[in-house]
Amino acid sequence: MDSASDAPIKSLRPADREPNIAAGLQQVSATEARLSSVTLKDSSSRDGEDRVPSNGSLPADFYDAGEEIEAEDEEAPPSVAAAPEGSFEGDIAWRDGQGMDGEAPPSPSSSGYAGERGSSGDSSGIVEESDGSGGVSQVDWDKGKQRLHENMQDDASVSWRKRKKHFIILSHSGKPIYSRYGDEHKLAGFAATLQAIISFVENGRDRLKCVRAGKHQVVFLVKGPIYLVCICCTEEPYESLREQLELLYGQMLLILTKSIDRCFEKNPKFDMTPLLGGTEAVFSSLIHSFGWNPATFLHAYTCLPLAYSTRQAAGAILQDVADSGVLFAILMCKHKVISLVGAQKATLHPDDMLLLANFILSSESFRTSESFSPICLPRYNPMAFLYAYVQYLDVDTYLTLLSTNSDAFYHLKDCRIRIESVLVKSNVLNEVQRSIMEGGMHVEDLPVDSSLRSGSASNHLGMGRSEPVLVPQSGSGGPAGLWHFIYRSINLDQYVSSEFSSPLNNFSQHKRLYRAYQRLYASMHDQQTGPHKTQYKRDEDYVLFCWITQDFELYAAFDPLADKAQAIKTCNRVCQWVRDLENEIFLFGGSPFSW
Amino acid sequence: MASRRRMLLKVIILGDSGVGKTSLMNQYVNKKFSNQYKATIGADFLTKEIQVEDRLFTLQMLILPFLQIWDTAGQERFQSLGVAFYRGADCCVLVYDVNVVKSFDNLNNWREEFLIQASPSDPENFPFVVLGNKIDVDGGNSRVVSEKKAKAWCASKGNIPYFETSAKEGINVEAAFECIAKNALKNEPEEEIYLPDTVDMAGSSRLQSSSSGCEC
Repeated sequence: MDSASDAPIKSLRPADREPNIAAGLQQVSATEARLSSVTLKDSSSRDGEDRVPSNGSLPADFYDAGEEIEAEDEEAPPSVAAAPEGSFEGDIAWRDGQGMDGEAPPSPSSSGYAGERGSSGDSSGIVEESDGSGGVSQVDWDKGKQRLHENMQDDASVSWRKRKKHFIILSHSGKPIYSRYGDEHKLAGFAATLQAIISFVENGRDRLKCVRAGKHQVVFLVKGPIYLVCICCTEEPYESLREQLELLYGQMLLILTKSIDRCFEKNPKFDMTPLLGGTEAVFSSLIHSFGWNPATFLHAYTCLPLAYSTRQAAGAILQDVADSGVLFAILMCKHKVISLVGAQKATLHPDDMLLLANFILSSESFRTSESFSPICLPRYNPMAFLYAYVQYLDVDTYLTLLSTNSDAFYHLKDCRIRIESVLVKSNVLNEVQRSIMEGGMHVEDLPVDSSLRSGSASNHLGMGRSEPVLVPQSGSGGPAGLWHFIYRSINLDQYVSSEFSSPLNNFSQHKRLYRAYQRLYASMHDQQTGPHKTQYKRDEDYVLFCWITQDFELYAAFDPLADKAQAIKTCNRVCQWVRDLENEIFLFGGSPFSW
Repeated sequence: MASRRRMLLKVIILGDSGVGKTSLMNQYVNKKFSNQYKATIGADFLTKEIQVEDRLFTLQMLILPFLQIWDTAGQERFQSLGVAFYRGADCCVLVYDVNVVKSFDNLNNWREEFLIQASPSDPENFPFVVLGNKIDVDGGNSRVVSEKKAKAWCASKGNIPYFETSAKEGINVEAAFECIAKNALKNEPEEEIYLPDTVDMAGSSRLQSSSSGCEC
């Protein structure tokens, strides 16, 4: 993708598109100017590098490939320990893992992630990027990809094959568009093979959904002229992987809209990679979020915990500007919503919010100055662009104003100035910072019985902790062995997730838990056998409990030795606790959500 | 001004079985030749990167398998795997064996087969290249199709570039594929502005009509 970006190209490239209009500069018609000619930042031309031909052959080589990966796959020793050791913690683990990218790390266990099968000491295993906390900057993504460029060639290279989870986007003529790992051009043969497989099945008037080969799954998603493929050995359910491909497609639409289909209708040879130039980090960051952001499988968003009055104050000023022709006004802190407001009848889907937040957070340029950029909200209208005005108000908090008017820059800028001054005056931004410091719900703070509930409810979330109701045993989480929970309000399409605490200490453990939730979610929502109401499951890692009613879904993880009756009782208390705090953890009223 | 980005070219290679399509590709990509004949069962895909006139190209080459079938008259026919493989092809290479008349006579069928399946927007000017392979065999003594005859056919089909090659000796193979890239450079479409619609508020969140938009 950046391979294509070593030249100025004449095209509207809404993606990289230098979204920053330095305040007051060649604006207004700036959009047009920006659209008609954009010079790409040259991402270190790799022209001189050795090119190893990539060869593929169907079907023989395809299966060969599968077997080869199989052969390299580790037999992870069954995990006995309830809390598997991670070699590194949090951020460090990821950075270290990243450092080894593409060099076939000698020890995958030291890259942190040991799959769903517990800890592993095997040194020849398939590596999954052991990517750290969610707040990793875009620079790190780019670095990861560049390292790969330096070191690895194509589908024939061992380091490429060792990757645990591939995402590849290609066109219906078999031309690669995006690959999570490796150089798209060098994967041309592989992409052609994938296209051949898809087309072969389509010729029989059938549709290819999934191929299994040992531990590997190859999941296909065909969206008109765009083919999306995930190849992985992470034991995630097919449904989850397909939804991840849907989100990846949605991210592409957010950058280009579905009008891209018409380019392929006119010209099957159409090469869309130049249009996506510079957006690599957006895709990498989305794929990374599949491992840590529950919004990707819950299809709900989450709010930053705030006092009701604080959120109201933010909502009021957003509502004010929404009435002046702004389609959506969204105030967010990282991936969490502070407040949002939509024009009359306009509805915003949680998936669109996820993709928009990912787009903004993963594009470094938004951080440095105010920006005005065309974007598409695929669930709102996949065919057309909106215009997004984005400005960071502090290091984590950013305001997004969406308009249908390409000349709205100055108006939105004025709106932002008004909003910002109100937010500062009413102390909202300070409250936001305070909330970040204090964190959300901690399982240790779960009120032990109903008599204490009212007291806890009157506190801000973080304040109850100065005098915890139940002193947690060291390393054992909350009462009754409660480690973590996610509560999703169905009516609000919002969820709240407890903070991670001991013994879920590092990113690989978080990711493992999310994968377990994801499987739980998939099995609860199984089309054939479900939907189900409750599930209680004990394995060597956790006791997992899921409870779905008309109003909410609760996902909870306990110590594997937790008592079942106690666990169920605790889940009831969690639900009550969430309801007691709902004014602080959810966004109510004036909500444009109506799906 | 032509853009400087790397171009990916999809190249379809067609011709009778045994004329040396796979050998040519192997010679070109891997600099290897084997005397042993192996029919291409699945589709063969190879990638090769080349630099022509300061531009970097990735050639995505496909040799398609053809299922041999016999019609009611006992005549051998080929059935292709279908239209999808041809989709978006940038160039088609037709290969025949200079020592086998039938493989030359069939060039016309292959060319038509390609035009039907790929249905390019401008069939008259679609870039083909013809390769007369195996010129090394028996020192050229067993040759039955003359260069003159081949060139005449190429001229009659809109001046298709013609190369005489030997996959075994590696003669002319590089030049042939370089020509493919040069052809593509000539036919490179101008980068046009991609301009989708903007949401029209009058229509609220309804889907917009798709009249204007992508100008590619």
